Amino acid sequence: MAKKNSYDLAASSRRSWKTELKRDWMVYLLFLPIILYEVILHYLPMFGIVMAFQDYNVTDGYFHSPWVGMKHFVDLFSGEDFLQAIRNTVVIGVLRATIGFVAPIIFALMLSLINSKKFKRTAQTMSYLPNFVAAVIVCSLFTQFLAKDGPLTLLLTRVFGAENQNWFANDKAPVFWIIYLLMGIWQGIGWGSIMYVAAISQVSGDLHEAAALDGATRMQRMFKITLPSILPMILMMFVINVGTALAAGYDNILLLYMPSTYNVADTVYTYTYRQAFGAGNSNYSLSAASGLFQSVVSTILLVGSNALSRKAAGSSLF
Amino acid sequence: MAKKQRKKEEWENNMVETKSAADRIVDVIVYFCVALVAFCSVIPMWHVLMSSFSDGKSLLAHVGLVLWPVGGFTLDGYSLIFQNASIVGGYVNTIIYTVSFTVIGFLLAAVTGYALSRDTKLKKPVTMALMITMLFGGGMVPTYMVIRALGWVGTPWALVIPGCTNSMYCIMMMNAFNSIPKEMYEASHIDGAGHLSTLFEITLPQAMNMGSVIILNLVIGQWNSWLPASIYVPNKKALWPLQLVIRQITSENADFLNSSNPNYSRYLIQFAVIIAAIAPIIIAFPFFQDKMEKGVIQGGVKG
Repeated sequence: MAKKNSYDLAASSRRSWKTELKRDWMVYLLFLPIILYEVILHYLPMFGIVMAFQDYNVTDGYFHSPWVGMKHFVDLFSGEDFLQAIRNTVVIGVLRATIGFVAPIIFALMLSLINSKKFKRTAQTMSYLPNFVAAVIVCSLFTQFLAKDGPLTLLLTRVFGAENQNWFANDKAPVFWIIYLLMGIWQGIGWGSIMYVAAISQVSGDLHEAAALDGATRMQRMFKITLPSILPMILMMFVINVGTALAAGYDNILLLYMPSTYNVADTVYTYTYRQAFGAGNSNYSLSAASGLFQSVVSTILLVGSNALSRKAAGSSLF
Repeated sequence: MAKKQRKKEEWENNMVETKSAADRIVDVIVYFCVALVAFCSVIPMWHVLMSSFSDGKSLLAHVGLVLWPVGGFTLDGYSLIFQNASIVGGYVNTIIYTVSFTVIGFLLAAVTGYALSRDTKLKKPVTMALMITMLFGGGMVPTYMVIRALGWVGTPWALVIPGCTNSMYCIMMMNAFNSIPKEMYEASHIDGAGHLSTLFEITLPQAMNMGSVIILNLVIGQWNSWLPASIYVPNKKALWPLQLVIRQITSENADFLNSSNPNYSRYLIQFAVIIAAIAPIIIAFPFFQDKMEKGVIQGGVKG
């Protein structure tokens, strides 16, 4: 297939634009919508980033707003808020890329130890549900459950003797991070395990059989056969996870945090949002600067992790 | 295949016979943990469902999980959401947005995928351009400014057009078209079909395995979306999708709990509206579960 394609490409590249357009004008026309779409909605905003170096205001636009150089970046890094947001982003990102990453793998391994097909299938289907519940609903449920006298709060109070409180109003260091991590795990554990379950089912049954005949217990087989067989995939997924750790997964915080918990819950993403669209705020240039910082760092992470994946696992995203 | 499956099952059954004590302990732990995950996954929604059938006043006094309707079975919450103009409006808006978002997004991905799968001079540069947008984006505010310049702020266009497709969907469709045998295209060409009819009448139906995965992702994504609406139509309540309405209702309800003379009917509404929002997806879920699972396995699509 690949060979055929490269041959085909050579065919079109040998012809001149004129013959190409004459021959296949319809296909070229089919490119038009996506080109317009990409240019307007993805490439124009990339040029719009210049506003991070201006004191942008809506009436003057890009062409007449005064240039201020690195002022907004200096502001960002000399204030406490942004540095705090970076710290929280790193903490939450690291938690999600480690513990949050391992949870679906453990779940998949456990599923592989279950013999009853019916039980396994039912449990899997049930575990998918949170993935399809809207973020607004998930956050409102967690807010209810962890409010003062909420069901989860009461459980924590009765079992662990924790104080009956609104956990989302707690601004002590690890509380919000742990809640947010657990919320992410709750949402993703079932759906995230699908790929691993599929990979585990590909592991040859003969290997297991041979090992079992040699007296290996199920746990031994899991650690010595199943886990090593899916390790390349785990590695690749981990690298992808690290690459996208900064880019996604922080929008739910917008539904959960409050001014009194900014010190632990504010992230670069929420900071960017708040500066531009928060109540009474329209620091567009500052927000653009913060957004640019995030874009650049996550691009570096993505490219870096992709290169690493190509080297270590032999496969890459692009 | 079936034979192999049977053999495997046989072997697994044999394993059941020869279980050691340690194996049994592992079994108990594993079954318990998996059951716990499954339980935790559905119990919050069960709580909401049962709360929505409860009596408002008793529910308010109730503390802890609601495993069964409290204070007698009622449907008051549901009759109230039909009287609430903003909920009905939000529901209608969400349906309109979801349908248009999906139709536009899927057509764009299909047309682009087809064009990319053909032998043209634009194949390489456009693929490259699509890849770049996966790596780097302008960010929230510069995108907002472009949409503002288009005059879309405060209109449904800002919710339906941006984000309706992405590079990944286009490339997935390209792969789907590439995997259709070349003879198909040749035969269609010899029969005198142009590119449009080749695309829509002959090859697209064969690419629908991948296509339906993309459609499902688009539908669910837009049905559950709230962030673009909070950026582009924050003050136009008539344009709010259901999710923004829910956000307002649930946060208002938190305030209402603090007031001295609570309106009990209002308390039920938040549960009923959540059920109403999620019911279509849950009801349809058994029909698309297999497709979505396959989509995840094939393309690493996150649903």
